[in-house]
Amino acid sequence: MILTGSKIKDEIKSGNIAIEPFCDEQVNPNSYNYRLGSTIKVFDGFDGDKAAFKEIKIPKDGYILEPRKMYLATTKEVIGSSKYAMSLIGRSSMGRYGLFLQVSANLGHTTSKHKWTLEIVASLPIKLYPGMIIGQVSFWKNYGTVKKYDGRYGHLNHPQESFVPIT
Amino acid sequence: MILTGKKIIEEFKKGKIDISPFDKKRITTNSYDLSLGPTIIRYKSGVIDPKCKPQHEEITIPEEGLVLEAGDFVLGHSNERIGSDFYVPIIHGKSGTARMGLFVHVTADLIDIGSHGVTTFQLYATLPVRLYPGMLIAQVSFWLPLGDIILYKGKYQNSTGPLPSLTYKDFKYDIFKKK
Repeated sequence: MILTGSKIKDEIKSGNIAIEPFCDEQVNPNSYNYRLGSTIKVFDGFDGDKAAFKEIKIPKDGYILEPRKMYLATTKEVIGSSKYAMSLIGRSSMGRYGLFLQVSANLGHTTSKHKWTLEIVASLPIKLYPGMIIGQVSFWKNYGTVKKYDGRYGHLNHPQESFVPIT
Repeated sequence: MILTGKKIIEEFKKGKIDISPFDKKRITTNSYDLSLGPTIIRYKSGVIDPKCKPQHEEITIPEEGLVLEAGDFVLGHSNERIGSDFYVPIIHGKSGTARMGLFVHVTADLIDIGSHGVTTFQLYATLPVRLYPGMLIAQVSFWLPLGDIILYKGKYQNSTGPLPSLTYKDFKYDIFKKK
């Protein structure tokens, strides 16, 4: 079952969902709209067998993404839940511009809590602004016993490239 | 929980799911198949700026089809009007569409409960692909919500064709407002 907006608010009050900072106006009928953080990382060639990324602070007047590149950024908010599984996606308003917010990895594990890394791909050149509302996260009821997440990414608050070596 | 095809038919009959036109043959095990409408929108702005209303053109897909090149992005729409005040719809490509490398949405599959209208497809081609009007291109599934329902009253309500992004309306009240 997917949580409605009212249930998301109830569960924030109960401490079962964390969204920080939280703003009532960003609650949707069945998700919460998150904002874009202030830094973006862009692939900058290889350093030995490691992919190198250049970090850029997104200027107030915007940063233009080029098509056929992959950028990493984060949500502005710390998002997590001790009770529900999460799905982090874009929003229709950005999808209508051809902006991917993740690369087929929408699932957020129960008990992870952090600023999520976004894998951004633009189909068209597009300008992004720091703090803009850019995507949405939904919360899903679990079936079964929850085992605590112990992965490598679920506590990081900066745009984190893959730990998987290229070669 | 996801509704089965049989449950979608039952809930459609009770008026709890809106699919029009409705054709029982389009019901699958867990979803309903959506067909591509005749109108395509292509942006004309060199760089998309979410603060500004984007320039775009409308194209009617000819009977012989419209070819998208690899890397092309356009908006299309479903022929069907869909929505529900009781369940959450999620849009998916059909596996046959995906096997041609065609995305039907760009990480925005989730539809708000209470949103009704034809769906705007976000069509991104990874290979050259020919689109035909009326082709079965996508599917919609319905999911059970948990909690009190507050219905969608947003800016895309009652769409009758493909709608370009309306983010410039958000920025009027959003980005300059510091919390």
